[in-house]
Amino acid sequence: MCVGITGPHIVSLFESVSRRGVRPLVCVALATVLATGCATPPPASDKEAVAAFEKDNDPYEPFNRAMFEFNLVLDDAVLRPVAYLYKEGIPEQIQYNIHSFLSNLRSPVIFANDVMQGDMDRAGNTLLRFGMNTTLGLLGIVDFATEAGIPKHNEDFGQTLATWDVDQGPYLVLPIFGPSNPRDAVGLVVDTLIDPIMWVASTDVQIGRRVVEAVDRRARHFDAINDMQTNSLDFYSAVKSLYRQRREAEIRNGAPLKSGPAPGRLSVVPAGGIKDQQSLNANPDK
Amino acid sequence: MGRTITSRLCDCGLFALLLVFAPPVQASSPDDFIRTVSAKAFSSLAEANISDADRIDRFQHLLNESFDLAYIGRFVLGINGRRATDAEKAEFQTLFEKFLVRAYANRFRDLTGKKLNVIRAEDLTERDSLVITRIEITGNSPIPVNWKVRGKEGAFKIIDVTVEGISMSVTQRDEFAAVIRQNGGKVEGLIKALRRKTGD
Repeated sequence: MCVGITGPHIVSLFESVSRRGVRPLVCVALATVLATGCATPPPASDKEAVAAFEKDNDPYEPFNRAMFEFNLVLDDAVLRPVAYLYKEGIPEQIQYNIHSFLSNLRSPVIFANDVMQGDMDRAGNTLLRFGMNTTLGLLGIVDFATEAGIPKHNEDFGQTLATWDVDQGPYLVLPIFGPSNPRDAVGLVVDTLIDPIMWVASTDVQIGRRVVEAVDRRARHFDAINDMQTNSLDFYSAVKSLYRQRREAEIRNGAPLKSGPAPGRLSVVPAGGIKDQQSLNANPDK
Repeated sequence: MGRTITSRLCDCGLFALLLVFAPPVQASSPDDFIRTVSAKAFSSLAEANISDADRIDRFQHLLNESFDLAYIGRFVLGINGRRATDAEKAEFQTLFEKFLVRAYANRFRDLTGKKLNVIRAEDLTERDSLVITRIEITGNSPIPVNWKVRGKEGAFKIIDVTVEGISMSVTQRDEFAAVIRQNGGKVEGLIKALRRKTGD
């Protein structure tokens, strides 16, 4: 099942970026994927290791790491330089207008997800924001609603599925789209399909929109990503942890995690539970 | 004005003394404590005309007096701590603190246009509280930052920081666990990686 993902499709994706300097890395990544599609689970006798493996929930780690490297190569070659030019070369006011415009365009999808989650207060909020920003905010280039004290929130179908108790499935790094899981990947497709713009705008406009969205997002997080990349020992694992925590927070609609993962405890108990809880918990209080 | 050399020396000595003892930040409640720590960070770290080396020293001082680093160190090592020898634990702790200083000190270089607003504090347990704050940045949406604070009046320490729902301790623990796993479950592998990173 694991090997199924590493089909000719991905090979061609790799081929398309093989250039001088990139090739060795791509070859290594590809070899890794083909050689070891799945991560090797630890022996069943090592209960602690098995629990850690299950908690990590990343059975396709070799594949994911290869995809991650692939995305980093793309980021290095294209997205980061473009985002840098955008961030440094375009006046902040214009960047704000572009960001507001793109955010406003996402309103119908956010509204649909608010409704599907049965959150009518937030749906009303999104509708009101869309109305205000499209008119008073001049087609969205000014986030008039936020100025008026109606802050923005985000929703997507991945979060909607989570509120419907659909399991997230294993960690998955998608080419170009980055960190994900089956639930969020389905969400991505559904959000694209329910977006009215998808049905009215030409393909060029849609591609343009996605590209500017990516550049805007990358530019906004430029320094944070830089810091993290320089300061992490294992960037892949740091991003995985970050992605999961971020998604969990979004699903909770930003409510603070009150009980929190107890110190030294596994934040997620693997399916089937842990029999010997004590052996898994190193208590930092001692 | 005439400050004598002796009074300057005295200041230096006093500063060194503070570095060694790092007494707890005086505060009457967890939210008050976070206000005090933040005011200190803004006044001492964001100063424009100090060198990076000075900023690192000041950051280290602030980190020691406001964070329970021993607790955080044990937390991020997690269950792997039980596989470590006492010597490994001690070395890990030293390297981890060095690593934190390197990673975070220079983020405070420029705090212009930024402001920390304390919203409220909530009790988590008998001794832990959550202080909910927002970092306001001119022209941007505010960033929610929550501080887990442990202790009682006059002796508070931060034990975790959560930025937009992402706990710094959990992220660090997950990353360190991955490094240990890649090194065949040996804490020594993590220590080596930290040594390389901190330039030891």
